[in-house]
Amino acid sequence: MSKHDEARRAFLVGAAVGAGAAAGAALVPEALAQQQPAATNTAAPGHDHAAGSGPGYGASLNVDQSATIKAFTERLMPGAPGKPGATDANVLNYIDLALAGAYSDQLDFYRRGIAQLDGYCQATYKEPFAKLPAARQDEVITALEQGKATGFTYPTAQAFFNTLRTHTIEGMFADPVYGGNKDFAGWRLVGFPGAHPAFTPADMASKEAFAGGVLIGLQGQAPTRRT
Amino acid sequence: MATEKTDVVIVGSGAVGGVLAAELGKAGMKVIALERGPRLRTEDFAPQDELRYFQRQDLRPDPKRQPVTWRPNTGARATMIQSLAYGNQAGGGTVHYGSVSWRFHEDDFRVRSQTIERYGASAIPEDSSVIDWPVSYAELEPYYDRAEYDLGVSGKAGNLQGKKIEGGNVFEAPRKRDYPLPTLNMDQVGVNFEAATKKLGYHPFSTPRAIVSQPYNGRPACSYCGFCQGFGCHVGAKSSILVTKLVDADKTGNFKLITGAMCYRVNSDNSGRATGVSYYGPDGSSDNTIEAEIVIVAPFVYDAVRLLLLSKTDRFPNGLANSSGHLGRHVMSHLGTRGFAAFDDRHINVYMGPSAQKHTIDDFNADNFDHKDLGFIRGAQISAGPAGLEGGPIASAMNMPPPPGVPRWGAGYRDFLSKYYTRYLALTGQTENLPYADQVIDLDPNVRDAWGMPAPRMTYDWRRPNEVKRVEFVNNKLLEIGRATGAAHVWTAPTGPGAPGSHHQGGVRMGHNPRDSVVNKYGQTWDIPNLFVIGSANFPTSAGFNPTLTIQALSYMTADAIANKYKKNPGKLI
Repeated sequence: MSKHDEARRAFLVGAAVGAGAAAGAALVPEALAQQQPAATNTAAPGHDHAAGSGPGYGASLNVDQSATIKAFTERLMPGAPGKPGATDANVLNYIDLALAGAYSDQLDFYRRGIAQLDGYCQATYKEPFAKLPAARQDEVITALEQGKATGFTYPTAQAFFNTLRTHTIEGMFADPVYGGNKDFAGWRLVGFPGAHPAFTPADMASKEAFAGGVLIGLQGQAPTRRT
Repeated sequence: MATEKTDVVIVGSGAVGGVLAAELGKAGMKVIALERGPRLRTEDFAPQDELRYFQRQDLRPDPKRQPVTWRPNTGARATMIQSLAYGNQAGGGTVHYGSVSWRFHEDDFRVRSQTIERYGASAIPEDSSVIDWPVSYAELEPYYDRAEYDLGVSGKAGNLQGKKIEGGNVFEAPRKRDYPLPTLNMDQVGVNFEAATKKLGYHPFSTPRAIVSQPYNGRPACSYCGFCQGFGCHVGAKSSILVTKLVDADKTGNFKLITGAMCYRVNSDNSGRATGVSYYGPDGSSDNTIEAEIVIVAPFVYDAVRLLLLSKTDRFPNGLANSSGHLGRHVMSHLGTRGFAAFDDRHINVYMGPSAQKHTIDDFNADNFDHKDLGFIRGAQISAGPAGLEGGPIASAMNMPPPPGVPRWGAGYRDFLSKYYTRYLALTGQTENLPYADQVIDLDPNVRDAWGMPAPRMTYDWRRPNEVKRVEFVNNKLLEIGRATGAAHVWTAPTGPGAPGSHHQGGVRMGHNPRDSVVNKYGQTWDIPNLFVIGSANFPTSAGFNPTLTIQALSYMTADAIANKYKKNPGKLI
């Protein structure tokens, strides 16, 4: 079995676990079982490559850059017991793949932003961002957000902060085919049941959490057919 | 080199182009439409992919290829607008819009007269260029009716031939008959908004939308998946031009659509006649020409103005058909002010049900309320729905700033999203900003698009005294409504800088005479009778309502005028 297939299998198992965690007693295993054949027919462009979990090569960022982005995004959206964060969702993998694809014109923005960030941290705390304790990292991010961090030209500190915040939100909540939202971590965090093609009047009349909350991603959907 | 001859050439196949292509084709005229984007099909629309359609705007123009720039005043440097809200494919913006389909009020067509009659001339800001439309509601009513039935709009009448009906919009202008389809099913946004606004003595109702609530004309009913704004409908229940009028146009046998075609010039001779258009083909070729008896310019506001400016001649050195000097002026845009209500005791599940502005009160729109001593004229449509107008978590996170005291990142923000994403509703006030002559679209001297043409440049700042006071008033209403829902947290978003929002109008203003407008009520240019420019660019004032149904009604009216009058006797319709 190739590494790719292993990742896919892990994804599908994770999807089932994720659905169970969200739906609890309402989990419908049959529905998930039905989704799997459709999913396995589809290539997984957002496969979980090494940049997300270990010190291997990514599609865009080098090892140190990856460590910086991983640490930064985890502070923006920190994980806690029962509350998946950026690392759980593999936001780094999302960003790394996006910078090799749809956002390839922003790779220079990232490289320069990371270099400036580490330059600021070295000048202020004698350590790169990734090696600072969490409380210090939060101070640094606050300085970026408020435009008070020094040494930034392009991108500006605020532009770098805003872009990372936006891309963290995307990596948390975009469909898993894009490489983040691993095992629907972001959707489980907020209670979004995924891309359901239809809701009933009873669903919409309810004042409770959606009872049919089986998590559905793009790869679990039947394609729209010609009518 | 491709040169073709036809009766009618239409630039753009959206809300305007689709209606005219079908109706003129039915009248036996040969029609060619140029469309810069592709022609997609219902099965092309992967459902509910928020990243692709909402965040990365797959169905909208790429600002890098088709830039539009903006500056707040002539002294400022223009910067690129990052998000362009209009369409970029066959069917235009109707493919991805939220489908909100209003008839304008009677007084929306006579803002100047209405204001003077009720408040005196001094109530109109001195620098504003408010005028009455050259067309009345009564004249347009049959065309609104035709658009609603032909396309498929779901709603409930609130004023049937003068009889007010509770549950519909009691402020609407009288209609001859009810909507063709009943209202869409209510969700918890509607339930909570309705209870709160009724408690306050207002008049809530289900927003009329061009989404079919029952099977209609061979299309299935809405499935309530919740992804309309920014998305193509994956079942075809949205009554977009793509699945309605372009299908009708095909059936006439008189219609040809050329996709990947970017029109760069309206050709004219110096006798005051348009001869056709030239366009870049999908292969980049520039020597493609269509010769036509009638030229209809029907893209979005920016491209309509730019095309006329680029088509200047010795006779019209300031832009084609611009002897008045009003081309590109009086540009308007709606401002969406935003409020939020987040609940501890109930779920809203904002991702269910057709998105955009789901439920509405019209009590503070137009001149439906007394503006005496308020310090501003005209109002806003106040509606409820998801933040970002579609219900997924990316749109909610990107468009809902957390309430005061909650950070924008970190554990506090995570916990806010975790608790409230399924327990919030958003309120929007869509304000009727007035026209001002110095709100302008021209050609940017510094920025060019992927075809090498100068980008449209907008000079615009909504922060006028009349507009600022209206926003303050509307934001207080949003807070009042939010509190009446019983929510645990109620707050508003800070209003942004002066950059334009969506729903742009004006720039090719219609009017009563050739001196102070570019076109007559049919969109026929005063200067060149066989050249029409149709769309929200024609609007003299903007109304607080979404523009598309009015654009479509005007298109049906012009189609009738061309088929029944112009075709027999080409020349000035007025």
